[in-house]
Amino acid sequence: MLAIDDLTVRYRTAGGEIEALSSVSLKARKGSTLALVGESGSGKSTIALAAMGLLPAEAMVPSGRILFDGADILTMNAEARRQLRGSRIGLVFQDPFSVLNPSLRIGDQVGEGLVHHRGYTPERAFARAIELLDEVGIVKPEAVAKAYPHELSGGMRQRALIAGALASEPELLILDEPTTALDVTIEAQILDLLEDLRVRRGLTMVFISHNLGVVRRIADEVAVLYAGQIVEQGATEEVLQRPVHPYTKGLLAAIPRIGRRMGRLAAIPGRLPDLRNPPTGCRFAPRCPFATPDSTNPQRLLAVGDRMVRCSSAAALRDTSWPVQEEAVVAATADRSASEPVVEVEDLTKSFVLSRGALRWEGWRPVRDAVSITPVDAISLTVAPGEVVGLVGESGSGKTTLGRTILRLIEADSGLIRIAGETVSDKPQSALEAMRRTAQIVFQNPDSSLNPRKTIRELLGRPIARFGLSPKADIPKRVDELLDLVRLPAHYADRYAHQMSGGEKQRVGIARALATQPNFIVCDEPVSALDVSVQAAIVNLLADLRDRLGVAYLFISHDISVVAHLADRVAVMHHGKMVEIGPAEQIMNAPSHPYTIKLLSAVPRVDGPALARREVVAADGLA
Amino acid sequence: MSPEPTSAPARPPRKPMPLQLKAGLAITGTILLLGLLAPWIAPHPWDTISMRTRFLAPNATYWLGTDEYGRDVLSRLLMGARLSIGMGVAATLFSLAIGVPMGLAAGYFRGWIDEALMRLADVLMAIPPIMLGLLVLAVTPPALWKTALAVGFVYIPPIARLARSVTLTLANEEFIQAAKARAESTSYILFREILPNAWPPLIVEASLRVTYAILLGSALSFLGLGAQPPSSDWGLMISEARSFLDRAPWIALAPGFAMCLLVIGINLLGDGARERLDPRLKARLGKA
Repeated sequence: MLAIDDLTVRYRTAGGEIEALSSVSLKARKGSTLALVGESGSGKSTIALAAMGLLPAEAMVPSGRILFDGADILTMNAEARRQLRGSRIGLVFQDPFSVLNPSLRIGDQVGEGLVHHRGYTPERAFARAIELLDEVGIVKPEAVAKAYPHELSGGMRQRALIAGALASEPELLILDEPTTALDVTIEAQILDLLEDLRVRRGLTMVFISHNLGVVRRIADEVAVLYAGQIVEQGATEEVLQRPVHPYTKGLLAAIPRIGRRMGRLAAIPGRLPDLRNPPTGCRFAPRCPFATPDSTNPQRLLAVGDRMVRCSSAAALRDTSWPVQEEAVVAATADRSASEPVVEVEDLTKSFVLSRGALRWEGWRPVRDAVSITPVDAISLTVAPGEVVGLVGESGSGKTTLGRTILRLIEADSGLIRIAGETVSDKPQSALEAMRRTAQIVFQNPDSSLNPRKTIRELLGRPIARFGLSPKADIPKRVDELLDLVRLPAHYADRYAHQMSGGEKQRVGIARALATQPNFIVCDEPVSALDVSVQAAIVNLLADLRDRLGVAYLFISHDISVVAHLADRVAVMHHGKMVEIGPAEQIMNAPSHPYTIKLLSAVPRVDGPALARREVVAADGLA
Repeated sequence: MSPEPTSAPARPPRKPMPLQLKAGLAITGTILLLGLLAPWIAPHPWDTISMRTRFLAPNATYWLGTDEYGRDVLSRLLMGARLSIGMGVAATLFSLAIGVPMGLAAGYFRGWIDEALMRLADVLMAIPPIMLGLLVLAVTPPALWKTALAVGFVYIPPIARLARSVTLTLANEEFIQAAKARAESTSYILFREILPNAWPPLIVEASLRVTYAILLGSALSFLGLGAQPPSSDWGLMISEARSFLDRAPWIALAPGFAMCLLVIGINLLGDGARERLDPRLKARLGKA
């Protein structure tokens, strides 16, 4: 159906030419799903853009062909390509929140392609849009077709976008991270829908994702990309269960598994090679524990059994697994039950007024019924010294608000907060000096949490100076110690945030939180913005720091498997309420609340029995 | 487990300086230099009246001719450059000094402080600039520093608005939350965390404001409300030459062209600086 042959794509940038794809060859068979997997910078989205003929102007294609049903997309003229895009190839993008035009009705946007490509009248297209919305599982298609995008939830919008891509009866559907912006339960529904459509319509799908669990659920075949090259390609279950290429092995080992607690995750050291001047040999060699002298020679895709692997020692590595480091630090597990909890929260409540509501008359008095939400609803929680309490929940469940309310970054409406034995909920902000030193926070987005105009030395030195923790002359030494603690070299002190990678920035964020020697840190989605291999390194670092320093964490994440790996106890939040809390093992293996069960069953996993497709079925209504 | 390698990611090479910036720097720099060196390089005394050399057209001795009192126009022009640029810069500094803290406070505190400050700015904006200048200068004896003050006052609202809008986006950044989480004082957050990030757009805006200030200052001088004779402020020069425009047009044209050139130069400088400092452009470069 779609065949990519020896495709190379380069981007001209201010810093020089970047080779985004290096002679990539792929084939998507008719009626099957091919998944492209890779971390950021692997070139997976470039493949999607190239296949749609949508490469930006800075892109150059020095070699390669993209054959769709025998015709080369790259040599077509713009008009022929446009015709193809609208009618035979459909595309679904990552972010359902920004792709829909906010000022057009859903039905008009879904039927738009029909008007342009099939010559439908707008009325007929609208009628057809309603049928399509029905087909993608939207409950009241007539009402939804007349709605505007802001009235729909994320899952509904993604369904509408899929309906739009299907409108012109395409044979090929290209999906670029279609579920990444969605919650896991919604993600499961969308994956089921796609599978259903593939079977019903005989669609061919190219599915791009960074999430191996999602890929396992949907793809027949998977191609793993690294630094613009395919490193391993084969049947999904084969590749995920018995990876051959070292990168695939590392990627899979870096994913925390639910229900299998390990001391530490396997992390892949190092970073992507500089693509302005890619190494001629194996591009993964500098990070590879199995590298041999032969790795510096150009590597070709070799057949190993039924799959293709770009590694000259592939056959030898078949049954070797990625080395997992033994636990170096002996856990300093104090007797937690005996000591006083470091954080105690009782009946904490916070609500926000969303809008003041419509004006109405009550007798002679005008009143407004305020519309408010309560993201933190009577929550009680304790955290023992050195304990990790995981907080999971979907977007809008109130996890972040809870974390910030405990630290008094958001003021609570009512409830009691005690930190390190001191009641802080009734004190004015100016009297929180001791608490501010004891309790710190690590943020989700390392780009936003470090002031771009300050060097790392200034960023880390400020908390020390602020609380007068060491004499002024000793601050540089203390900064070096902090950098060492988060395993960054000392010369990083003179850098600015933009001169570091995402993982390094997050290490600085952690070091800043540690600068005041706190007993308790709120980790607000600290690994969500990072790639899997970097995520594993940060999670390990957090675990090490807990063991060495005895810091307690409130670890907030939407990724249940990360929480399951790190946390001693897990709390599940849903619509501002804590629906379940208990030891991590118990929550993961024997959840009791229906919401927890639903959440856990929706998590895409890379291990365990292959899920029967269509396991979670639930309809979402108008938001 | 080991951290990312220690090698620094190669920084993208500095973007070549935009042409506008170069041209702007050259023009503005030359005028500034000439103005500063005026007492030493002016070919004739700027304020000596000489009845024998009245209304001379440009010639070899008097390159730009002489005015109605026989003074050398070129020398007066050079001396006047200091006044015009000085007035423009002083006015802009004044509006920065008031407008930036105003904008920071409005954008950071929001709520009624924001409302109060911004409505105040609206009131200021509703008064035509010349009117406000007239108001200040009409009730007190005119002087150049008062013109600068009046002009600076007029340009507070745009600066405050810009500072506010930059602050609004910066206040949502997580590093502000981090500063709050270590109980930093409000003034530390405003001036040490937010302000350094707000500078680039403010500097660009301020450099463009200098040109408006020079023009408005000259207009006020033209109306007799700024520098007083025998000062060689450009606006005043044009005003005095107005009555002889038919007989000796060079007296008015010289300061007119000079002002034109200066305004173009500073505008180019500001545009070039915008291209260079725009944080969005920078972010795009950083990603590549």
